Amino acid sequence: MDVLLQQVVNGLMLGGVYVMVAVAFTLVIGMLNFLNFTIPALFMVAAVMMWAAMAGGFGADIDAVLDDVLGAPNKWIAGVIIALVVVSLASLVIERFTYRYMKAKYGDATEHALPLVSSLGFLIAFEHLVIGRWGSDPLTIDSPFGNASFHLGAVQFSIPQVISLALSLAIVFGLSLMLRKTRLGRAVRSIAERPDTATLMGVDVGRIVPVVYVIAGLLCAIAGILFTINYTTVDAYIGDKVATVAIAGMVLGGLGNVWGAIVGGLFVGLLEVLSIHFFGASIVKVPIWGMLLLILVMRPTGLFGHTAIGKGKF
Amino acid sequence: MDVVLRVSRLDKSFGGLKVVDNVSFDVTRGSRTALIGPNGAGKTTVFNLMTGVYPIDHGAIELDGRDITRIPARDRVAAGVSRSFQNIRLMPHLSTLENVMLGQHAQARSIRAQLFPLGFARINKWAEQAREALAKARLEEYPGQVVADLPYGIQKRIEVVRALMAKPKLLLLDEPAAGLNHQETGELQKLLREVSERGVTLLVVEHDMHFVRTLCERVVVLNFGRKIFEGTPAEVNADPAVREAYLGSNQSMGEAGHAA
Amino acid sequence: MSGELEGLLVILCLNTIYAYGVFLPAASGQLNLGAAGFITLGAYCSAFVNSELDGLGVSAWMSIPIAVLFTAAVSFLIAFPILRTRGVYMVLATFAFAEVVAGLIINLEFLGAAQGMPVDAHMPFYGLAIVTLLVALFCHYLMATRCGLAMRAIHDDESVATLFGANVRMIRVWAFATGGALMGLGGALYGHHFNYVEAQNFNILLSIYILLYVLLGGTQTAWGPVVGALFFTFVPELFRYLGRETGEKWLEDGRFVAFGLIIVIMMVIRPEGVVTRTLLERITGGRRRQPASPAAAE
Repeated sequence: MDVLLQQVVNGLMLGGVYVMVAVAFTLVIGMLNFLNFTIPALFMVAAVMMWAAMAGGFGADIDAVLDDVLGAPNKWIAGVIIALVVVSLASLVIERFTYRYMKAKYGDATEHALPLVSSLGFLIAFEHLVIGRWGSDPLTIDSPFGNASFHLGAVQFSIPQVISLALSLAIVFGLSLMLRKTRLGRAVRSIAERPDTATLMGVDVGRIVPVVYVIAGLLCAIAGILFTINYTTVDAYIGDKVATVAIAGMVLGGLGNVWGAIVGGLFVGLLEVLSIHFFGASIVKVPIWGMLLLILVMRPTGLFGHTAIGKGKF
Repeated sequence: MDVVLRVSRLDKSFGGLKVVDNVSFDVTRGSRTALIGPNGAGKTTVFNLMTGVYPIDHGAIELDGRDITRIPARDRVAAGVSRSFQNIRLMPHLSTLENVMLGQHAQARSIRAQLFPLGFARINKWAEQAREALAKARLEEYPGQVVADLPYGIQKRIEVVRALMAKPKLLLLDEPAAGLNHQETGELQKLLREVSERGVTLLVVEHDMHFVRTLCERVVVLNFGRKIFEGTPAEVNADPAVREAYLGSNQSMGEAGHAA
Repeated sequence: MSGELEGLLVILCLNTIYAYGVFLPAASGQLNLGAAGFITLGAYCSAFVNSELDGLGVSAWMSIPIAVLFTAAVSFLIAFPILRTRGVYMVLATFAFAEVVAGLIINLEFLGAAQGMPVDAHMPFYGLAIVTLLVALFCHYLMATRCGLAMRAIHDDESVATLFGANVRMIRVWAFATGGALMGLGGALYGHHFNYVEAQNFNILLSIYILLYVLLGGTQTAWGPVVGALFFTFVPELFRYLGRETGEKWLEDGRFVAFGLIIVIMMVIRPEGVVTRTLLERITGGRRRQPASPAAAE
């Protein structure tokens, strides 16, 4: 029982990572009806930046500077800053080359795939940038926080993981609040609902869309940073392996539904950890993707029945 | 009277809003009939019900004595009703000839016809037939061009040719003259007269009353989904209910009055 | 022929077959991001049926057609539920299908689980080339038929295609299933050429690449997949070659980065793919237009 409980806790912790990525996916899909495959890439870039800052991956010179300025135990701070800056800039570049294809010219069936193709191009480019610099083998760090943990009954809680989960939930709740309360949030929602009307009403679509890309990018970046700290091993394909699972969570919650993505992200985390516990690590793909397939076929609106592709019921 | 289309007591609601309300009318074989009415009167919906885009709530549609009310959309064209669209709905990535040959689809449903390599054999009966139809419509100079690049007026006429390729008993034209300039309208009208002379029955939704009066011999007027008038174009302006319908709406007799 | 060039041409052949498998549904407006799943099915089916030691010991002459039929049957069956989805949902559903197949295979002991499986019979390069040619011819033929015309019409506007009598659902199912069968064929040939199959080699990146071959090559004509596969097979090699010849190592290392960026740029300059109808018309136009109307030289 205690073992199971421990697994549930581990699953929720992992789910915290998925939640952020799932929300990033859902934000872009809800607003622009665009499955953004650069999200796994941005997740990976942030995770690897974090690793590089902490493990001297930027080369001896920069490492020495970081040592001097921050001191060896605090190099993770540099990692966070670098990851956030790099991902924000990358998001802006990506926006330039994907958003412009959102307007249908003929309304045929493959037209909406154009931004998807560009985003896959970026995914390939980013992965190979990282491979070119650091190779495709696993990259590991020592956790900056050691094995700090506390016990509740027989269940062990890793302190960084608890903080990560709390942080990701806080960020996502904050985001949801922002979408509802602020002017920016209202502009985002109006674009999601009626892009043409939003333009008429004076919303500057050309300025809001990049902001959404950056927000989505930052969500992935934070997820990537937390992933590196908590799981200590990353590689160039970590985005394909981890961030795509978040897609399953997003679909479970309903495309474009932020609250759904939170529940879905936590659920796939649980599902993954529990399947590994009961059936072994090699089978883990089957329940997750099988569930996704079933949901898509049986109930494409997700569990909560609020699909909002391009309609943004955030 | 030889009736080719009989619409009886047609009803259709969308989410509680009655869009077509108890509409009945007959169309005689070989005639040219106009279906007019203010915006939102339900004219295009009637077309969509006839071609099976939506299922109907109540009523019946008989084509040449056969009840087509329940047959699926893809079989209606084989039953003898084909149409053009309010906004041009040609396939943008197909050539003119291919668009026209798509109109033959219902004529070529056997496995052999389906697997016949139209694209390899340039000379074949299907392509010949399509070229001939294009020539008759004076569109022979554009067979290979992708239609997305052609002028609007040409595209409108290609749509008519495509619909004709299905060898329809009844041809439905949804605002064929909308957006055309004077010369293009003339060309279209000439084409439609020729089509009519070949024995195809025309049912036309149109706002341009001048076009209706010169082309059609019979007019059915809808307002708010109901039929309010049926008669000749000459009578239509005199009818108080029709005047009311157009004056009552924001159209201020723009179309109807202009024709008077 | 040098070994290196032959190796490259083998990859080109396989890529072309895979690309046609994704192209057929794409030509009728369906995006299949699950190529790896169908390839896995074909590869393992043929390997198992052919294997003396672990399988049925049937000759490769039979095992490859069996693999094709098997993949076709699976694709046909899953086509019905998958084709209920569209757009983004279909991309996700096919992607999920491929992941489920991969997840199942690596847990099946009789298929060698994660270690993969040796394949007995060898398919030499010329055999591969012949089959590739036949596949290309078949797809060109299919796109030239009335059925192909209906597929392209459905791609552009499915409701109008329905109104002109096309059975949209059946055409889509057949396009999807035939495409699945072609990818199964590709997978079987892969196994018989390299004499080893391993599920990890057929991963999400493979599915992504194949979808990209098709969309970059262009979905409007049957030339698209060939051009896409050629481009994707040779451009990275070109970079590698240039890097080696000039001694600029970054060209070799960065070839896939450049490649990803080329994809992005291609979407800017040719969003409908390299080969479009208009392009073909421009190449062959004069010749073709002549008999119809000599006056239309414009």
